[in-house]
Amino acid sequence: MPVLNAKALTVERSGQQVLKDVSFSMQQGQVHALLGGNGAGKSTTLLTFLGFLTPVSGSAHVQGRAVSENVSAARQAIAYLPEAATLYGHLNAYENLRYFLSLAKTDTDRRALDAALDRVALQAEAREMRMQTYSKGMRQKVAIAMAILRETPILLLDEPTAGLDPAAIDDFNRLVRDLAEAGRTVLLVTHDVYGACHVADRIHLLHKGELVGSFDRPSGMDRIDTEAVHAAFAAHAA
Amino acid sequence: MSRILTIAHAEWRLWLRSRLAFGALLITALLLTSTSVVTALRMSEAHHARIHQQAVAEATFLSQPDRHPHRMVHYGHYVFRVPPPLSVIDPGVDSVTGQSMFLEGHRQNTAMFADARASAELGGFEDLTTALAYQLFLPLLLIAIGHGLIIREREETTLVPLLAQGVTGTELYAGKGIALVGLSLALLLPLAVMCAVAVGRGAAPLASAGVIGLYALYLLVWCSLILLVSSVARSRSLALGILALVWLGTALIIPRIGVESASSLIPVPGKIETDLNMQAELRAVGDGHNASAPEFRQLQADLLAQYDVTRVEDLPVNFRGVVARAAEADLTEVMNRHAEERMALEAGQARFAASFGWLSPVLAVAAGSRALSGTDLATHHRFLREAEVVRFDFVQGLNRVHVEQLAYGDDINRNIDAEASKRTRMSAENWNVLDEFTFRPAAATERLARASTPAAMLFAWLLMLAAIGALAARRVQP
Repeated sequence: MPVLNAKALTVERSGQQVLKDVSFSMQQGQVHALLGGNGAGKSTTLLTFLGFLTPVSGSAHVQGRAVSENVSAARQAIAYLPEAATLYGHLNAYENLRYFLSLAKTDTDRRALDAALDRVALQAEAREMRMQTYSKGMRQKVAIAMAILRETPILLLDEPTAGLDPAAIDDFNRLVRDLAEAGRTVLLVTHDVYGACHVADRIHLLHKGELVGSFDRPSGMDRIDTEAVHAAFAAHAA
Repeated sequence: MSRILTIAHAEWRLWLRSRLAFGALLITALLLTSTSVVTALRMSEAHHARIHQQAVAEATFLSQPDRHPHRMVHYGHYVFRVPPPLSVIDPGVDSVTGQSMFLEGHRQNTAMFADARASAELGGFEDLTTALAYQLFLPLLLIAIGHGLIIREREETTLVPLLAQGVTGTELYAGKGIALVGLSLALLLPLAVMCAVAVGRGAAPLASAGVIGLYALYLLVWCSLILLVSSVARSRSLALGILALVWLGTALIIPRIGVESASSLIPVPGKIETDLNMQAELRAVGDGHNASAPEFRQLQADLLAQYDVTRVEDLPVNFRGVVARAAEADLTEVMNRHAEERMALEAGQARFAASFGWLSPVLAVAAGSRALSGTDLATHHRFLREAEVVRFDFVQGLNRVHVEQLAYGDDINRNIDAEASKRTRMSAENWNVLDEFTFRPAAATERLARASTPAAMLFAWLLMLAAIGALAARRVQP
């Protein structure tokens, strides 16, 4: 049974079709990347799996169940990292994590929080500081830590590497692979062709709401053919 | 901790950490506390002063020397309306209607209730009282702090991650609502302290609890409104603008429309007009000082027949006193009728203006607050009626002395010489016809009954806003 399944999804926003007949499915432990330019429908796809948008036709399924049937169950199964790491500036990293995790009814202690923050390499001295003093990258790291701590079977990550420095991006890509190997299913949205090719098992190329191509990691290879994806991406961008 | 309480707790933490919110809270708490203390001191001073003045007035009347009883009728007496204990919260119409009244024979000094037009029902804006601070300023604080409760999450894009944690719109709405309601209830603390002080000074616990309950209901209405606007507005500035307009409308514009409409639809004649209308009827009663006036011929004839004599000099009672007593009774009937008509018009005005409480929770809470505190127009009318009873009783008591103790012959010859005049002086012991006057507002149950309509208005507001809010909560989306 696919963990995530988009069946001929068509979604409209403000009267305009932003997803047209998009279909794909993901098995447990897979990492898929949605690639495309601005307005391609990448974030819309994630929001549809979360039940924030209702398809005008087709359906989104989470763990075999249509999202529209039980939005709450879908959200419980998904850890979502929004495009801009939107956390509370008046709270420090621990307080933000505790707040969101308590809302998600996920019990955590200080050690677990520190372990997650260690995994995303957030400096120890910054953790007690209010997040309004954080850089974009630091905020992103806390948001990623939160997604990890949710311990949900599915992670939807919207532009997770935005604002991260190259070293942190490499760390993040390793982290995603680790999570997938631990059985968690990751669907990420990115503009970063190179990063997507390295981390994803499959890349879906979206253009103006349509799925225009999919690229699989060949067996035995450590990455998807970057040049082929780049060429397809450039062709549609043109 | 449930999600709802977690959200509420997070909001309180935000307010405590926000300099703006914390500063506003601190200023409001200081305003409420200082206003409460100042109002309490002012009303407490007025309370003691009026009790003292009442005692002095009674002592002065009773200490008058031997006199002709009718001179005492014109000497007159003062009664004072002592502010009730709960006036430390809401002095109501006290400052508008006046609090003392000069009582004398043949006239009702209506100057005080002549001023008590329906506009007085607004309580007067010249003094910042505890009631006004709660009615007008606390909603402003709640608006300043709460207008962004939900829209802020949307604007700062924290709404998506919140909802993505499985939080429902209803939970978010309820959590934010509890945060705002919790703050409001905390701000009721100065009011609760004032009520406790009032109970210590003799206020009915039931009425005091009613005051707290009424203001709690009022603040719940504002919390519901703020929450609703914050959930449906497109931006924080729009939410703030809408709420500021609602405040302006409900606190200033609708009350003014209510008062103006009441004045124009139910006109109350002025004092001069009332007196002119009444004068014609009073002339028909006759001048009680003139026993030979044609209006009293029938009385004379009946009295002569009753005692089977042919001359008033032969009556066993003083005919001049009988005429004074009868005239006073007839005059009082006319004056009371006019006074009741006038009070009915004033009460009608007040009711009409108060009915605008269906459009303005500020008007509703103001009317309920005055009723429960015993400082409304109805209480003032009660004072006027009680004062009139005192007036009539002491005047007729003196007339009875005139009838029974002063010989008619001495009375009509009192100006012949000093000795004759002296014979008409009655013992000062007779002045104790004056009853001790202590004004108390109606019983707590009666005041609660009067406040039930304003409370129902607030409850209707709350139900309506809660129902719309429940629908809006389900539609909370990023």
